[in-house]
Amino acid sequence: MHLRLDQLRRFAWALSLALTLTFAVRARAQVNPWEFEVYSYATEGRGTLELETDNAVVAKGHRLAGEGTTAGVFPSQGMWFNQYEADYGLTDRIEAAAYLMMAAPRDHNYQYAGSALRLRGRLLDPGVLPVDLGWYTEIEFHKSPQFDDARAELELRPIIEKDLGSFSFVADPIFEKVLQGEGRQAGFEFGYAAGAYYRGTRRLSPGVEFYGGAGLIDSPDPIREQQHYIFPVIWGQLPFGIEYSIGAGFGLTHGSDPVVIKLNFAFEHFVGALFGPTGPSKRFF
Amino acid sequence: MLLAARFARRVLFSAGPLMLCAGLATAAAAPAPSLQISFDGHQFTPRTLAVPAHRPLVIKVINASGETIEFESFKLNREVALTPGEAVEVRLPALRPGRYDFYDDFHDSVPTGYLLAK
Repeated sequence: MHLRLDQLRRFAWALSLALTLTFAVRARAQVNPWEFEVYSYATEGRGTLELETDNAVVAKGHRLAGEGTTAGVFPSQGMWFNQYEADYGLTDRIEAAAYLMMAAPRDHNYQYAGSALRLRGRLLDPGVLPVDLGWYTEIEFHKSPQFDDARAELELRPIIEKDLGSFSFVADPIFEKVLQGEGRQAGFEFGYAAGAYYRGTRRLSPGVEFYGGAGLIDSPDPIREQQHYIFPVIWGQLPFGIEYSIGAGFGLTHGSDPVVIKLNFAFEHFVGALFGPTGPSKRFF
Repeated sequence: MLLAARFARRVLFSAGPLMLCAGLATAAAAPAPSLQISFDGHQFTPRTLAVPAHRPLVIKVINASGETIEFESFKLNREVALTPGEAVEVRLPALRPGRYDFYDDFHDSVPTGYLLAK
């Protein structure tokens, strides 16, 4: 009887360790290293195509797989994340996008890491409500287990923006749910992307962005294991319709990578509208 | 953390409808002076538009040209694409006195225009 009790204790300890590790790994997924970007209320203009490349490199990261910004089998130290995005304005209030995610783990080849499809929209015209509100829904597919334990995920974001004088404040609370793969039985995870921007000059302006993930909504991770980053950024518009956002991110917890550099560039061009203009009385489309 | 998540959810669910109602009421109660900018011949007319400061505005932008433009203002955080012949109303908050740029983001060669709030 004494032996059985001892075995039971060991089993319980192993089970709790396995659960802790599982949820710790899942929690790291809410910070998407392919996209250090805060989505604002404004959507792509109707008929406008935007081509964007979002890049990040972990200048100082973790040496163990699955820690920091990585959720797969590669360590984050020295990892390059590279995303290509095509974004099209369907109407004055809704845009559609497709993503291709690539990665170059340290000492490994540049390779496919995943893809995603997204719809994003805004409600009413800017300035009608006290805060401008938008919505965002995305389905992500990961190359698993190399870059994530989950094969498919649903991501939902409300978008909240407020302009005060020359400052813009944007908040994207992020809710993620695993659809296929490890963690499918678990509920929604919570993360965030937020930014404060000063509109100085069109070519060059400063801002600060925040990204983070807290784990499952009903069972958040210990603060030490969560990821939280602060990114001072410079951003603006260059000639020929090119936009950029460049910054260095600093991890604020042990679970974060200490230093991540991001370089995002976008180019937009009118290619032709599929639908007619949206009237001011329309709220959603 | 769990308590914080619950609190955040309650705030979102309770404050959201209130903010929407307040916003719609504000929108209905604040008539704004009507102003106009047109685009033709590869330029905006007028190039400088004087507008009243300290009160919300609605500016009608008309694309009278044969090309698609994107009326954009970096300072005012507004951008909208207009196909040939299209007109839109751009709603602006109360502005401090000063100069605010606007331009066609699809054509760099179009001269920048300005709103002069005073």
